[in-house]
Amino acid sequence: MSLRRVGATFRRLIQELHRDRRSMALLFVAPVVLTGLLAFVLRAQQVAPVSAVVVNEGGPAGATIVGALEDAVRTDGGTVKEAADRAVAEAALRDGTASVAVVVPADFVTRLAQGNEPSVTVITPGLEPTADSQQIVALQRAFVTAVSTALPAAGAHVPRLDPQTLYGSPESDVLDHLAPVFLGFFAYFFVYILTGISFLRERIGGTLERLLATPVTRAEIVLGYSLGFGLFATIQVVVLLGWTLLNVQVPAVGPLAAFSVGLAVPVAGSPLLAFLVVMLLALGAVSLGILLSTFARTELQVIQFIPLVIVPQALLSGVLFPVSSMPEILQAIARVLPLTYATDGLRQVVIRGADLGYGALQVDLLVLAAFVAVFAVLASATIRREVV
Amino acid sequence: MVTSAGSTLLAGMSSSAPIPAPAVEARDLRKSFGEIHAVDGVSFELTAGRIYGLLGPNGSGKTTLIRMLTGLGRPTSGEARVLGVQMPSRQNLARIGYMTQSDGIYPELTAAENTRFFAAMYGVREQGAAEAALAVVELSDRAGTLACQLSGGLRRRLSLACALVHRPPVLFLDEPTVGIDPALRAQFWAHFHDLARAGTTIVVSSHVMDEADRCDELLFMRSGRVIAQGTSQDLRTRAGTTDLEQAFLRFSVDQGPVP
Repeated sequence: MSLRRVGATFRRLIQELHRDRRSMALLFVAPVVLTGLLAFVLRAQQVAPVSAVVVNEGGPAGATIVGALEDAVRTDGGTVKEAADRAVAEAALRDGTASVAVVVPADFVTRLAQGNEPSVTVITPGLEPTADSQQIVALQRAFVTAVSTALPAAGAHVPRLDPQTLYGSPESDVLDHLAPVFLGFFAYFFVYILTGISFLRERIGGTLERLLATPVTRAEIVLGYSLGFGLFATIQVVVLLGWTLLNVQVPAVGPLAAFSVGLAVPVAGSPLLAFLVVMLLALGAVSLGILLSTFARTELQVIQFIPLVIVPQALLSGVLFPVSSMPEILQAIARVLPLTYATDGLRQVVIRGADLGYGALQVDLLVLAAFVAVFAVLASATIRREVV
Repeated sequence: MVTSAGSTLLAGMSSSAPIPAPAVEARDLRKSFGEIHAVDGVSFELTAGRIYGLLGPNGSGKTTLIRMLTGLGRPTSGEARVLGVQMPSRQNLARIGYMTQSDGIYPELTAAENTRFFAAMYGVREQGAAEAALAVVELSDRAGTLACQLSGGLRRRLSLACALVHRPPVLFLDEPTVGIDPALRAQFWAHFHDLARAGTTIVVSSHVMDEADRCDELLFMRSGRVIAQGTSQDLRTRAGTTDLEQAFLRFSVDQGPVP
């Protein structure tokens, strides 16, 4: 054991790392930025103001409590309106003019008077569980205020909220909401890595220089890459979609017990539309990979873009936290990320059951297609015959 | 001068334009990267069907010059013409072969797959062009071998095959014989002479003088300038020495100290 050799190895690493500014930045800056971003997303979450539509099934007696509830919601900064019946309220949820519907039952006041807790149905869209639960928590608060002002005699009895969702089933679990969104995220992520490294190898291996000495056009290269990695993305998405949505029962054979394969996430819309959304996202990732390979000199540096480019997108694009509850500035960033539109599109299709006639889905698809076009043009621009 | 073999070769090309003499032409070509003048006013005319040696030390501007002639770099000023067409010109690239300093082949493809890929990129339609290129560099028996499993010398040969696959009338070879053994080097030069006899204009860059005598004509480069041009014999006579390396130094002295 020679301390001198150990020391020399130690010193060489310090020298190398010191010169690799990017790795240094990654070691210190990236974790600070990422945790900072996470803190910003979590702490600065604006609980979006309640936007409720109330149905009064309790007649004149119910009107008192509905009036008090409306006052409480408005005092909290929320908006509230009344609907004649449940169908009208659900229509308001569907077209997005309200975020939560409240149905005050006929027996509300009588049950309170008897010292029982009345049950109140609250309906949320069910597309973004976090945003929905924020609405419900705020409503709960408003109800406490409303009951204590309108019916002080009721004392500590607070109505019990019975949450229902417009889309998806009441039994849907966290996975049902996350799986379709993760599908898009994984396709985006892996296609980016594959293309980025593959194209970087063209750049550093001298084959790009060689390619550009042939009469090939930049558009031909980008299109060829899109087709090639598009094929891999297709296979990946088909496998992932199958794994997520299907639940294949395998019967018992001999000593093997019966089992099922697949996550059996319910899909309300067409799996083909979900596929279309993910494919558009993956095609954008091909061009993004080509684009970012310009800024990398080694394969390691392509990997280094993951915490800088991919992880912030996962934080900001509504994969984990609803975009609507983020601070304004982060919402503005989210609106220029392709993943935001893919996430929304997948929720629209898988949970809401949207078809091509839905405006929200049309917007998502159009924006994703625009991203594909813009990224492809930018990627082409980085493939220049003039390389210094 | 235009050789008859050259006309035959060109007649087979899609372009029916008359062959211009010179095959390669530089007119006061300059390329600057900021303060550095990599190529600093180069002019020459190269005749079809001859082998030209571009000789000079590392950093004398050989690669930058070749990249402008192959349209990969845009000149800061001046003009580069190949077969009468001003570069950069994408269409003209189908008539130019370029063997880069690095091998520039796909390691995960076989030798045949590499040549076939470049044949497609150059727009070669005839069947068997890829196989013919492999035959020229005597790699036919390794056609099915992955490029990453070939030895360094064989990879250079494959790289040459990829530059030849479209039978270009003009061929630029950037340090083609660096790091290969003497036997293979002799083979390479035999190929080059065969191609030149068939009318191909060849520009070979090198930083060693011992290959100079195999060229028909030499261009000495230093500090981004062509300091002398002529046959090996001619240059030695003008420099008053029998040794080409001495001749290069003699011409360098006339240019003054390296800036």
